[in-house]
Amino acid sequence: MLLVFEKLDSYIQNALENWRLKEPIEKEGGMKPFEYFEPRTVAEATKLLSNYGGKAQILAGGIDLIPRMRKGDIKPKYLINIQKVTGLEYIEPDGKKGIKFGAMAKLHSLETSKTIQNHYPILYEAIHQITSVQAKYMGTAVGNLCVGTPASDVAAALLALGAELRIAGAKGKRREPLEKFYLDYLRTSLKRGEMVTGVFLPTPQPGTNTAFLNLVRTRSDIAKISVAVAIIVKDSICREARIAIGAAAPIVFRARKAEAALIGQKLVSEAINKVAETAAGETTPINDLRSTAEYRKETAKILVRRALEKALEEIKA
Amino acid sequence: MKKEIAKFKINGRIHEVIITPNVTLSELLRDQPDLTGTKHACEVGQCGSCTVLVDGKPTLSCSTLAISVRDKEVLTVEGLSRGTQLHPLQQAFIDHGAIQCGFCTPGMILMAKALLDENPNPTRQEVKEGLGGNLCRCTGYVKIIDAVTAAAEAMRKGGK
Repeated sequence: MLLVFEKLDSYIQNALENWRLKEPIEKEGGMKPFEYFEPRTVAEATKLLSNYGGKAQILAGGIDLIPRMRKGDIKPKYLINIQKVTGLEYIEPDGKKGIKFGAMAKLHSLETSKTIQNHYPILYEAIHQITSVQAKYMGTAVGNLCVGTPASDVAAALLALGAELRIAGAKGKRREPLEKFYLDYLRTSLKRGEMVTGVFLPTPQPGTNTAFLNLVRTRSDIAKISVAVAIIVKDSICREARIAIGAAAPIVFRARKAEAALIGQKLVSEAINKVAETAAGETTPINDLRSTAEYRKETAKILVRRALEKALEEIKA
Repeated sequence: MKKEIAKFKINGRIHEVIITPNVTLSELLRDQPDLTGTKHACEVGQCGSCTVLVDGKPTLSCSTLAISVRDKEVLTVEGLSRGTQLHPLQQAFIDHGAIQCGFCTPGMILMAKALLDENPNPTRQEVKEGLGGNLCRCTGYVKIIDAVTAAAEAMRKGGK
């Protein structure tokens, strides 16, 4: 027995001596050390999250997290990789009420899902216009939501579709509409020990028409502004409306005043123009390297107008 | 940080290395097995130069923790040829002059392989979209798309 241990020990020592990765780890730009976990169940993951609180970070696809960790923007002490948690990759019907997809459902799987393409076309469009195929193979929609960036096209589409999050915590499960999930820039309503396990999308009501539009510097860049709308029109009167705007405020949000102004209206260009102006008034954009606040406000108006027109065209067609 | 012995299957060969969790797959590949075909360029997942296939799926190795792909099959550009017999994609890149400085080439070829594995007969537009996450700073895209289209045809004819 002792011999076995000695052999193992000398094996480790040899390997350690041959180990040449020490330097890159220490090099500038390398990631700070952390403790790494691979839970197999949601319960294990939430237990780790509640034990380590704010010092823990979930790793799903990693396309946002790992580069930020390498830059040193975030330095989690504990990294909880949920890639090996079983049963989080699903995209499936949820009774007759809608569909649901899991926290590890990849953007690529959602993009190529016939159900998404046929019944939730704006979600398909918001994903399809992402140019990096690798990012879509690695990245998850839930990960994208949990980053909390206001420039998430996926979040804008899901907000217009009335998505609801399934959240698990050490103390149990809860559900939360996506629009209540975002509190502030990069801040979500997740409490200590909680993680998003999936997303529920209700079946669009008959007569629902949707449109997604965004404005980008180059196709591979994130949006300067993005707009997703869902409207229900009966007898040419707008009965229900959801207008989601991204990259124009600290969070992706619904332009509630514009929605209220739209309901009960006959959708002629005058009404649409007015609603678009109201929506632009609800934005609180910033100046950054992509655009000025002024430009964002102006283009928010134009994009809301075009999105509503596009949704209407679908109705006519 | 905890060091551990991890087993990696890279280009069909088992490599046992001692790693810490904060090592990326690209750092591991370039350092330990000396597979420098995988390129570090932007290192933030924007350019596609570090693309490798993990269980056949295109993966940005700069944005992947090595430890998370333990026991999975990693394919780098070095694993494509069989001896001196080049992969049809490699041959097509040479035949069509789809290489200028060559830095993006390994990532381009592996992404193209993933694309052709899923869609053996892509349209030109599908090739463009399939390579949407790979940047060529020499902007030699036309010849790259030509090469991938030609390789697709060669592979369909059984040149795999």
